[in-house]
Amino acid sequence: MIPLVKNEMIKMIKKKRFYVILLVLVVLVPMFAYAQLKVSMNSQEKYGDDWRRQVQQGITDNQNSLGSDRVPEEWKKYRKIYIQQMKYYLEHDINPQQTGGVSFTREFLNNAATLFIPLLIMGVGSDIVSSERTTGTVKMLLTRPIRRWKILLSKLITLLMFVSLIVVSAYVICYLISGLFFGYGGFNMPVLTGFVLNGAEVDISGVHAVPQWEYLLMQAGLIWFVSITVAMLAFMVSVLVRSTAASIVIMMAALIAGNILTNMASAWTSAKYLFMVNLGLTNYLAGSPAPIEGMTLGFSLMILAIWAVCSLFVSFLVFTKQDILN
Amino acid sequence: MNSTSRIWTTTGLISGVSTVLLLCGFLYAVKDIMNPLGAPIFDEQTRQESVLPTPEIESVLDVTAIGDSLAKGTGDDTGNGYARRTVQILKERGDQSKLVNNLGINGLTTAKLIPLLDEKGVQYVLKQSGVILLSIGGNDLFQETEKFQSGGELPTEMELEKSVTEASENFKQIVKKLVDINPDAQLVYVSLYNPFADLEGIKEIGNKAVTHWNSLAMQTMSEYKRTLVVPTYDLFSNNGPLYLSGDHFHPNGEGYQSIAERIVQGLGKSVVE
Amino acid sequence: MTANNRVVGEQQQTVLSVQHIKKKIGKKWIVQDVTFEVKAGEIFGFLGPNGAGKTTTIRMLVDLIRPTEGKIQICGYDVQKQPEQALAYVGSIVENPEVYTYLTGWENLEHFARMMPGVSTARIAEVVDTVRLGARIHDKVKTYSLGMRQRLGIAQALLGRPKLLIMDEPTNGLDPKGIKELRVFIRKLAEEGMAVFVSSHLLSEIQLLCDRVAIISQGRVLAVGTVEELIADGTNYVVWQLEPRAGGEALLIADGVRLVEDPDNVLDVAILAGMGDHAIVTIMSPDQIANQVSRLVKQGISVESVQKINPTLEQLFLEMTEGEGIE
Repeated sequence: MIPLVKNEMIKMIKKKRFYVILLVLVVLVPMFAYAQLKVSMNSQEKYGDDWRRQVQQGITDNQNSLGSDRVPEEWKKYRKIYIQQMKYYLEHDINPQQTGGVSFTREFLNNAATLFIPLLIMGVGSDIVSSERTTGTVKMLLTRPIRRWKILLSKLITLLMFVSLIVVSAYVICYLISGLFFGYGGFNMPVLTGFVLNGAEVDISGVHAVPQWEYLLMQAGLIWFVSITVAMLAFMVSVLVRSTAASIVIMMAALIAGNILTNMASAWTSAKYLFMVNLGLTNYLAGSPAPIEGMTLGFSLMILAIWAVCSLFVSFLVFTKQDILN
Repeated sequence: MNSTSRIWTTTGLISGVSTVLLLCGFLYAVKDIMNPLGAPIFDEQTRQESVLPTPEIESVLDVTAIGDSLAKGTGDDTGNGYARRTVQILKERGDQSKLVNNLGINGLTTAKLIPLLDEKGVQYVLKQSGVILLSIGGNDLFQETEKFQSGGELPTEMELEKSVTEASENFKQIVKKLVDINPDAQLVYVSLYNPFADLEGIKEIGNKAVTHWNSLAMQTMSEYKRTLVVPTYDLFSNNGPLYLSGDHFHPNGEGYQSIAERIVQGLGKSVVE
Repeated sequence: MTANNRVVGEQQQTVLSVQHIKKKIGKKWIVQDVTFEVKAGEIFGFLGPNGAGKTTTIRMLVDLIRPTEGKIQICGYDVQKQPEQALAYVGSIVENPEVYTYLTGWENLEHFARMMPGVSTARIAEVVDTVRLGARIHDKVKTYSLGMRQRLGIAQALLGRPKLLIMDEPTNGLDPKGIKELRVFIRKLAEEGMAVFVSSHLLSEIQLLCDRVAIISQGRVLAVGTVEELIADGTNYVVWQLEPRAGGEALLIADGVRLVEDPDNVLDVAILAGMGDHAIVTIMSPDQIANQVSRLVKQGISVESVQKINPTLEQLFLEMTEGEGIE
């Protein structure tokens, strides 16, 4: 098995897909960092160094929108929760919006967890089997004296290794680049976690502070789990669809549809069984409300795991049985 | 040959380490979210620290607005309200001034304002201000009337009177709290006007209630030093169409500008003192 | 391996045995009942027009496609049931030699070497030498010419010292010189004891290269035999040049000899070209020629030339498939 994984690893590196992903990060992160810098310069202008005033204004602004009839009930729930969290931060004199390389990394990856990182993962995953079929090299692979499931397993292991690499590189690149803008500190800054949501109310009995580096570790772990699920789905699509382009399009459509659904479809409660709606695991850590009532971390983990296992099952079933006709 | 071996060893090693790290992070996160530790860390360290530091006042003319939709500036197309307009006029006059925060919340009543004043963030902001612009009471009196506008029943004189008495009790508490929070600030109360001065049937009892309220407020305010009541009743009783916005309830830009000018006039005197 | 094989000896050992394989894709039978055997040391041709089921059959040989019915054994191992053992004896190039273009030739060979047991670096160097790619082996494959890729394909097929080499249309895209080299190369491999299975739609190619041939059309094997056997089974054409032509023709017909009405259709244009307009093409057994010549001479017809023409596989094929056509 190890020689097979070695083969796949070398192909992946030599194909330069991974470098493209790193390049995307290197290009995009500075853009976001610059935008963030502008934002914080703006608020610097308004509030000076006084983040407390800024947080208080944020609370008041959100309270105002609670009274408005034009704001959908759904958003009000988000805002109520936001208000309670911000009050909690204020009461404990912890700056929730402190700028710094580490904080930027945390914020960026929090936003990247449901779409950006999955897209990167998909770029590798959708390609890993279908590219062999597009180029015809799959014939060379499958005429070796090796069972097909072993070949597929070696590809899966390689993909999972690259999932880890991508998640970690996203953090490293983000930290290194944003550090240029905001400085490299902030590892020990306290971050609050443990907000438990019951409907629109926030249960703060479990709230506790963790140093930001620990928070990052937990966040990375959750993103990793999401990425693995996405990788396995992309893997399945890659087995089922012969062309790399088609398989990328299919996965992309699924992910973006998920993002849209998350933003609008809380009325359609059965949507919570779709994998794309469950990608926001980091929300549970940050205490943001789940897109659909009744979703918890345990629920989301379960749904993602079921989707992942099913897609693996389909991948192996199809790959070991299918005729290679082209 | 060498290059492929190197790729294999480095990539394999890094991804192996990464995977272990991420797995740990994942398990930690699951444990932490499923069984939140509770708040022990804070109990020890931050209880004492949890009092926000007392901010320094940069200028005695730094303004904070607090209260209802008038404080917020609802109805002003520019969104400035009298809070920002006051700061502008002061600046034009050559004084050093800025808007610290605008804590106005639409629909706020006296009862809802009281707990707000216990919030640390609110107190922090108020402590930083040289001038506190308070607007409250309108919703206590006229929320019922708004319903009437959309076809509800007209409040009786008795009912209005009851609202005035109840709200004025709350008002006393509010003023006391504000003064307690920041005894050095100039507390400015923007008193009520009758928005229905052009509406037959309610004009009379409205006028009566507003006048009563304003006099009670004046009484409460006069118990403290460094307080100021800015009258608006006269501005709107004859110039309603000119100063009211499309909803016939909130002032428009012009209206807010006039209120701001009055505030500055009032301040001017107080500051000189 | 059966006792029988051992007695017969190395040269006669059956390396590939295909028994009644059939393949249905959708509702269509792509391959219907294909049976043949390939023995060690022989070059076996697999001949048929495009779409006859050649590629499907080859893919079934190397476990890319599962036969609907039938059994394929390589060195005694069932390809479907024991692919790990069976495929260890096979080197193959299915259609074009598709290798990883973003790797170097050497990296490609290393890649495939890792996928089979007991291929050392020395062995890789050896096959590179065999296919004479030494000079460019460390270049990226995307810089290779088609011929070089073909050679790299052969190199990877030879890596595991296979007992059976399967090549699908190996001359596709090669220039005449390359084709000649390939022919010599394959012959050499066969002499070393390897069984070589070559498919082609180019009959001349097969005729030049192969010891035995199976002819396939519309998913069925029409005939299997040595090239000589197949040709001898077929019809012989005899071309006469007689003077006077009409008299000779009449005499031949009188004796019951079949004339070919339209020789252009059955004989190669190249053969007919040298004969002029007077040629008479007949179908007859070659042992009749002496008799007929003396009869004609007795009747005063002068025989200018008599030529026996062995049919080519092309003609054979046309007869068997009743003119289905071939490139």
